[in-house]
Amino acid sequence: MRTRTLLIAALAAAIGVSAPAFGRIKLATLPVRERVEIRLDNPHFTLVEEERIVPMLKGTNMIDFSWSNTAIDKNSIQFRPIAIRQGKKFRPIKTVDRPSGAKALEIRVINVAYPPNENALVWEVYSDEPCAAKVRVSYVIANLTRSFSYRALANRDETFLTLRKYIQLRNYSGEDFGGSGVWAGFGPKFHKQIGHQEDIKILLHKFDKVPVEKTFTFDWYTHGPLNPDKPLASRVLMHYRLTNDEKHGLGLFPLQPGKVRIFIADSRGGEAFLGEDWAALTPLDDKMKLYLGESRDVVCTRTIESNQRIDVRGNLHHQEIVLKYEIENFKDKPATLQIVEQLNRLAREYGGDPHGDVEWEHGAKTSKEIRFEFEHGGALPMLLIDLPARPKDKDAKVEKVVVRFHVIIKNLW
Amino acid sequence: MKRNTIICVFLLTAAVAGAKNVDLVTLPGRDSVQLTIYNSEDLTLAKETRYVTLKKGANKLQFSWANTLIDPSSVELRPLDHVDEIEIADTVFPGQKPQHLIWNIESKFEGQVKMEVTYFTSGLTWSMDYVAISDPDETVLQFDGYVRVYNNSGEEYDNAEIRLIVGTINLVEKIADLARRQGIPVPGPESALYKEMRRRTAGRAFARATKAAAPSAMAAPARAERAGIVKEGISEYFMFTVEGSETIPNGWSKRMQAIDVEDVEFDIVYRMRAHQYGPRPVRFFIWRNDAEHKLGDSPLPDGQVNLFRDNGDDGLSFLARQQIRYVPIKAEIEINLGPDDLVVYETNRANVKRFNFSFRRDNRGREWVNGWDETAHWIDTIRNYRTKPITFELRRIWGGDIDYDSEIETKLFDYRTTEVTLTVAARSKKQYPATVTQHHGVNAKQNRVKLKR
Repeated sequence: MRTRTLLIAALAAAIGVSAPAFGRIKLATLPVRERVEIRLDNPHFTLVEEERIVPMLKGTNMIDFSWSNTAIDKNSIQFRPIAIRQGKKFRPIKTVDRPSGAKALEIRVINVAYPPNENALVWEVYSDEPCAAKVRVSYVIANLTRSFSYRALANRDETFLTLRKYIQLRNYSGEDFGGSGVWAGFGPKFHKQIGHQEDIKILLHKFDKVPVEKTFTFDWYTHGPLNPDKPLASRVLMHYRLTNDEKHGLGLFPLQPGKVRIFIADSRGGEAFLGEDWAALTPLDDKMKLYLGESRDVVCTRTIESNQRIDVRGNLHHQEIVLKYEIENFKDKPATLQIVEQLNRLAREYGGDPHGDVEWEHGAKTSKEIRFEFEHGGALPMLLIDLPARPKDKDAKVEKVVVRFHVIIKNLW
Repeated sequence: MKRNTIICVFLLTAAVAGAKNVDLVTLPGRDSVQLTIYNSEDLTLAKETRYVTLKKGANKLQFSWANTLIDPSSVELRPLDHVDEIEIADTVFPGQKPQHLIWNIESKFEGQVKMEVTYFTSGLTWSMDYVAISDPDETVLQFDGYVRVYNNSGEEYDNAEIRLIVGTINLVEKIADLARRQGIPVPGPESALYKEMRRRTAGRAFARATKAAAPSAMAAPARAERAGIVKEGISEYFMFTVEGSETIPNGWSKRMQAIDVEDVEFDIVYRMRAHQYGPRPVRFFIWRNDAEHKLGDSPLPDGQVNLFRDNGDDGLSFLARQQIRYVPIKAEIEINLGPDDLVVYETNRANVKRFNFSFRRDNRGREWVNGWDETAHWIDTIRNYRTKPITFELRRIWGGDIDYDSEIETKLFDYRTTEVTLTVAARSKKQYPATVTQHHGVNAKQNRVKLKR
């Protein structure tokens, strides 16, 4: 069974008193922790702050702080006297005039000494009067880490999510902290018992009714042909897309990276697991994209309908390409298909080296049904095509939506 | 208890036969020790004073440093009293007794004289570190600097005056090399024997000056104030002198406050330099080592800065840790806090056009593109979700022959690097558009960025 590994001891070494020799006599009093705060706002350094009531004699006090089996960063340790007990209450430490004319705090750190081969240090602290002082000791500790995770529950229509954000504390620091305040840098503060070798998952925030957009993405150059039987079709990937802003029920803070487990409500009041994905850091106003898997109900084939070289001069030429997409939506709900066209690769495959990002323009045959987005630059357009739901009539066939992207890639050689 | 191996032996009898080393010995105790520690080299200048009794005429004083790495050429003796009546006639390094020297002293004075012995040795080091705590609004800092003196000498020393030298000195020979010159084999620097010799050297050098002094660091004379650090410039260096005397036991180190200033104003700047800091903008706290920032009375030596923020709830948040290099007076101190999730930077490149094609003709009359110009429209967007306006510096390196045009005032940092400083209001975004024309192939006549306005 482990014992407490942090020890703070005040050695009353009054002026002129014959002091102990170097043998490290540690214990005069052992003030217990009054309060512990764990700050997790820095992703790389966890700061622990503890408050203790230390009895001070008038004059010099040696305050010994030592630890074992705990990875405290010795160079990060701060000692700050913050208050003096007065009756039943504490009052802030005052600044007083010294005989030298200088101003100084009633309780002040004279210096810090570090003993050899020990995880310890000794503060030499001077107190003008005997008192009980509230001191705050802060230090960076290793192996006390945090991570974030999410649980998303979609409604049956997949139009809204209930998104829960959790913080997971892993305490392998070697220290039992007991009841501690925990703050992740945003959101509410918590008070939890934190023991050694404990993992604690805390609900940080619950976002209700977060509008979600289900997207279907087709990207020929990333995924290639679906299979030998369908050489012109490719995978259609499904995502949930959330926008981290107030309008979409979020927007309180950036969403940290973490695993998202996605569930959907079933018709019997239960839940079904849809899958999981790693969410990237999502700053405010940005979109979080969660991969759900492959759609079998939205099918898209891509054909190079025409491919024409237009000579300009010498080896300089344009390449005029018409891409035809035939899309079928077998779902009972409308959907929007996002087609990513990597024009640099298209140019390289059919026309020649674009020498950087392609220069291109629309031809007359581009379908009016296509909406274009250029979130990732002009060479990577995203084509958005709305698809109707499959017909309700049993005998009616699914309508095949055919659209064309007529692109003239200019100045290739 | 180990015996000192650095021994001052006073030879009272002047008529000592050449082959005889010692007729009568006294071992005068040290009166004081002053240590001047350099952090750029493993070097400490030790200065000790002792009282010796001289007789009129010739006197001999023997000094030995067996099994240590004292630089023999650095050992000096000088009288502090009756200076005009005492002359160090010569210093003899006896061939048959390595690591010994004998001073021949001519004295017109008889009686007790205060003498000073100085020499270079090793085993003590010092470092600097800093703690900065910003207020909750991130406008001012409490800035503290600490010197930490490490005693790995193997022996405690008491009540020594400590002086610390800031700056880099030049040594043409190491102490070990100088010891070798005396014909004494010296083990390699990484060997355990060398380390032991080094430890003993310092240990003996700094052995207690005053046996009657308090027996331990724990029992050092009580102080109601922390020791002041006096800073003064000497030539190109700065010297920190710890006021009073300090006792540091063997193996211990002691950290003393050297800088203590409040309300140091600082600037917050975001920098986007992908080539230097990576793909996200990073946040800096910047202030200067000058009087305007309540500093500037000395350079700031190399050291680690731990940066905290008062979180407004009686507690701290840990913001950053960084090693800073020597900061001269009036120079800037920059602390990199890393990326900030509340400031977002994006860049988008579109509208690529190519024109001004040049062609070369081969011997069959065919033409091949061998030069062209290309324009692209860049839009950089900065989104600030903080509750205060921010200053955002964008620096980008371009390759080749570039004509650069932006409606926002842009400067050249160097021949190929554009730089723009933007202010982004609280909770808002700002766009920085630019049209960039690059000349390729034979059209490229230069390798530089030219600003159009």
